[in-house]
Amino acid sequence: MAAIIQIVVLGLALGGVYALMGSGLSLIFGVMRIVNLAHPALIMSGAYVAYWGFRLWGLDPFVMLPVAMVILAATGVLLYKLVFEREAKSARYSEMTVLLTFAVAMVLEGALATAFTNTQRVTSPGYATDAFFIGSVFIPKGQLYAGITSLVIIGLLALFLKFSRFGYAIRATTQNREAAELLGVNVNLVGLVSFAIGVALAGAAGSLVSFVFSFFPSKHWEWIAVLMSLVVLGGMGSILGTVVAAYLLSVVAAFVGFFFGATWSTLTFYLALFVVLLVRPQGLFGEKPELA
Amino acid sequence: MASTDTTDDILKARQAYNETLTAAQDKRRATWFPLLLLALLAALPALQFAGNYNYLLHLVLYTLCYVVMASGWNILGGYAGYISLGHNVFFAVGGYFAGMMFARLGISTIILAPLAGLVAGLLGYMIGLITLRVRGPSFIISSLALVMIVRIGFENWHFVGGAAGVSLPANGLPVQWAKLPYYYAFLVMAAVALWASYRIRHSKFGLGLRAISKDEVKAESAGIDTRFYKVLAFAISAFFVGMAGAVWGEYLTYIRPNIFLVILISVNMVLMCILGGKGTVAGPALGAVLIVAFNEFFVATLGASAINILATGLIMALALMFFPLGIVGTLARHRKLPRFLNWD
Repeated sequence: MAAIIQIVVLGLALGGVYALMGSGLSLIFGVMRIVNLAHPALIMSGAYVAYWGFRLWGLDPFVMLPVAMVILAATGVLLYKLVFEREAKSARYSEMTVLLTFAVAMVLEGALATAFTNTQRVTSPGYATDAFFIGSVFIPKGQLYAGITSLVIIGLLALFLKFSRFGYAIRATTQNREAAELLGVNVNLVGLVSFAIGVALAGAAGSLVSFVFSFFPSKHWEWIAVLMSLVVLGGMGSILGTVVAAYLLSVVAAFVGFFFGATWSTLTFYLALFVVLLVRPQGLFGEKPELA
Repeated sequence: MASTDTTDDILKARQAYNETLTAAQDKRRATWFPLLLLALLAALPALQFAGNYNYLLHLVLYTLCYVVMASGWNILGGYAGYISLGHNVFFAVGGYFAGMMFARLGISTIILAPLAGLVAGLLGYMIGLITLRVRGPSFIISSLALVMIVRIGFENWHFVGGAAGVSLPANGLPVQWAKLPYYYAFLVMAAVALWASYRIRHSKFGLGLRAISKDEVKAESAGIDTRFYKVLAFAISAFFVGMAGAVWGEYLTYIRPNIFLVILISVNMVLMCILGGKGTVAGPALGAVLIVAFNEFFVATLGASAINILATGLIMALALMFFPLGIVGTLARHRKLPRFLNWD
């Protein structure tokens, strides 16, 4: 019994981080209909920001988190202006953008690997290897802090989307781009801002990931399928769905890892992605699949 | 006037008209060029009498391997418009099937290649039945997930050596001739792949695939069995990729997950087709030549695979943004395609 509680706890602790990693992806897909395969590479960039902040100046990843968010938001604006704004008008848009984001991911990976080599890195603040004990169940401090921070950030995002005027415009654009435009929403600005927010979330996730997982530039390929599985299972574009899926799959993966070994726990995400795409392409909370 | 025409007359008139169209197109085509190219490439190993040109042979062989794979990918990705980022799965399946048979039974992979292609094609057919139910981005994502699943599978399958793979015996030929069997195998496969690509493009099947890529719903309502067409296209493209994988394993003298199941290989296939012009016969071949030359240039001058990845991504992004039709497609649209590149 204690073992089972332990597994659930570990799964839930990681679930929050996965949720934050996936929520930016979900936001971008909802508003822009861009399946951003570069998202994991952007998270990786955020992780490097936190890593170098820690290595060079001894700054805690939580201090570097806002810095990474700002740097990546700027990257997001740049990417949007350079690449995606002009593509938004082309036919076969969604398919082209998948390949484009894929190309962007390669550029980022190549740039990171050129600058920092493919060495495994991890940020190691004191709490990363420490744990709380409740009876015989231990909770790794790093994962707990990261999970809670993720939930706080996602909560702030939800509040912003729910109660601010601009968030209202973002939600309107997600639901129906044309109708929102007809009602006077500047959809291009909404696209730009939500893309920047999504990428900033990648930066936040990256600084948390930097001490939760070890990372190296080409690892983002593994994350692509992991994040896609969350977003697809949750229903593309639904942030709530992404969060639920993240917790669900994270716990399942923890169980698979416990019973069959760590190699197979990642397989959970890939298989889930595969099965969901084929059985229920709209996912748990998605609307009818217009592109599946 | 029209009332006296019978159906036969109308059909005959249409057939005659179609023949004039074909004749007009034939005039714009230069059949001699691919044949000359084939002859030149077949004669190329004679250089070995004059000195050591192993590196040149390797480059041509490598390019030919990609011509086979990119042409295969093109049947699904170019004609039918289903972009797969997971075709290296079939490269691996072909490579492992033939490689294991070669290691255990000693049958040359060159003989096994068509069989390995069939195995890959069969697997492609079965995977296609599942994944081709979704379209667009979802299909692309499912193909990525497939690579991850298959890679974990191969890395943990002890019979095929897990992550360490299996090493294969090298052939006993003297060093200047050692590459030749593979060279000719790839040359034949490339010729067959291009010929098949041409035949498919000019068949009812190819027309159906192109209709699917333009508008699947309309294609279906026009009476095309879209599901069967798509899955068959998937199987044929997997066949060619698997065949290339079979010989590639023996050529490298080892099979290992990280030579087949790396993302760069499937990206290369996609990129060659996009750069050359997807949906054309000559496009993938032209793209293969350019990308291999380019990769080689980068690795030789800068010597870092990280920069190679960066540059490949950059080219892909630029090609997608500014030449989505590719070189052959763009030139053809502007009616400036030189005759020797018109293989359609």
